[in-house]
Amino acid sequence: MTPTIPILRVRGHLLVSVQGELGDDVVEQFQNDVLSAIERDRGRDGGLLVDISGLEVVDTYVARVLADTAAMARLMGRHTVVCGMRPEVAATLVQMGYMLDGVETALDVDDGLDRLGLPR
Amino acid sequence: MDPSLTEVLQFDEHQLRTRLAFFRIGEEELDRLAAMRPLMEEATAQIVSLFYEHLLSQPETRDFLDDPVLVDRLQAKQTAYFLQLFEGRVDLAYVENRFRVGAAHERLGVPPRWYIGAFDRYLGLVRERLIGRGVAGAELVADLAAVERIMHFDAALAIDAYVAGHLATHARNQAALRELASPVIRVHDRVLLLPLVGTIDSFRAQQVMESALLGVSEEQARVLILDIAGVAVVDTQVADHLLKTTAALRLLGAKTILTGISPQVARTIVELGVDLKTLHTRNKLSDGLELALSLVGREITDKERGS
Amino acid sequence: MTVLVSERLTIAVEGDVPVVRRRARELAQAAHFDAFASAAITTAASELSRNALVHGGGGYAVVEHVSDGLREGLRLVFVDEGPGILDIDRALRGGYSTGRSLGLGLSGSRRLVDEFHVETSLGKGTRVEVVKWARFRR
Repeated sequence: MTPTIPILRVRGHLLVSVQGELGDDVVEQFQNDVLSAIERDRGRDGGLLVDISGLEVVDTYVARVLADTAAMARLMGRHTVVCGMRPEVAATLVQMGYMLDGVETALDVDDGLDRLGLPR
Repeated sequence: MDPSLTEVLQFDEHQLRTRLAFFRIGEEELDRLAAMRPLMEEATAQIVSLFYEHLLSQPETRDFLDDPVLVDRLQAKQTAYFLQLFEGRVDLAYVENRFRVGAAHERLGVPPRWYIGAFDRYLGLVRERLIGRGVAGAELVADLAAVERIMHFDAALAIDAYVAGHLATHARNQAALRELASPVIRVHDRVLLLPLVGTIDSFRAQQVMESALLGVSEEQARVLILDIAGVAVVDTQVADHLLKTTAALRLLGAKTILTGISPQVARTIVELGVDLKTLHTRNKLSDGLELALSLVGREITDKERGS
Repeated sequence: MTVLVSERLTIAVEGDVPVVRRRARELAQAAHFDAFASAAITTAASELSRNALVHGGGGYAVVEHVSDGLREGLRLVFVDEGPGILDIDRALRGGYSTGRSLGLGLSGSRRLVDEFHVETSLGKGTRVEVVKWARFRR
């Protein structure tokens, strides 16, 4: 069984909420799901908001997939924001020397939607 | 009820056997101690009283024992303690009792050196008794060895309890210090201030990062002002820690403004090759506050004069 | 050091990595780790078990809840029989980058724990042992 990650449309933007655990087997599925959702959404130009408040652990592999997915979404013309990272996750990534440079971040979904603004 | 100290210090049957073996206390020594008991029961009162005479004759310990009621109570406890040495049985209950004695002395503020010194006096008194008994040669030597071993075994347990007590105190102080060391203050809606004072080592730098992250997360803050005017020395290591805090806060979606940057700190940051585009800095805290407010869409204006 | 709980977990397929991670997290809770320390050791468990799988071709992990009489902690050991690490100094500096990671697995994990030992032998495999202690409660 492949757990699916819900992708919603909120105020013209795509909102992906990652819950629980992004296992090694699910993480590539996540990237594919997000990219195909953007593809299906062609013609609109809302942003992409990835909510990771449900992730208790983010190792460098998952962090890299998140950063790559954000970069790909940007290449596809989507303003992309990752929001809701937990304090302990941020501290761990930084201690490991992984700063997620180039990924735009926000406190929570509200803050993230504020950053994305109104779709052009 | 308090948990037993044997539990807290994780002293189990296995530890007990290892410890007894280390102090070379076996069946023979325990049997010898048990055999001495009648003699010691007879001598207890005198030994305990001579023991206290010694403590009261020394200026250091005398001041501690200025209350006669306390001395009476201690003497009664001492008698029980002393006779337990000659039970010929050392089990976890025995160890627990010795831990408690050590912990009680630690709480009273009795330094370990008195403990060791007093122990030596005890040993001397018992030795005199054994020698005066009239048994000589190998028997006497073996009896003396048994007494010395059990008493040193006891002293080691007391020291264990001392060390554990000190560590617990240290931990409480650390916790108190931690709260003082990195206070996160809410200065405006969604704006926090963390003023750093003193010396930053890697342990404290970690605390600063964690307090900053928790503060931002709890207050849903957008901006945190990190004022380092009061930090004694900012070398490359400290600067690196501060920049890591900035990076971690960015991951949460908050901006950091560094204020109170001296010329020396500015030099260090530039030497580290930091990308200055990602760093908000101001020389003075007041300027940092203005910048913080503008980042949350507020500003400070002069009141209209003369109205 | 007293071992309170010790478990050996196989690392053979991708699905084993989350199992090691989850077990490490549960033991961290049992050992009274705070949220930061727990995230650190759980992440290290994830990095190191993935290393054993991806670079070592699989192996096993031993996860333990330990105590030194004063503090509780976690000891994790990762063993594989893979090719070993050619340039261990470089790996510890975070110099290697491979398809599945940023080369930060080993160097990053080292920064997350209190004790870190690695033994590697070319053609024979790698053994990484880490210990992290619970801090006094915040």
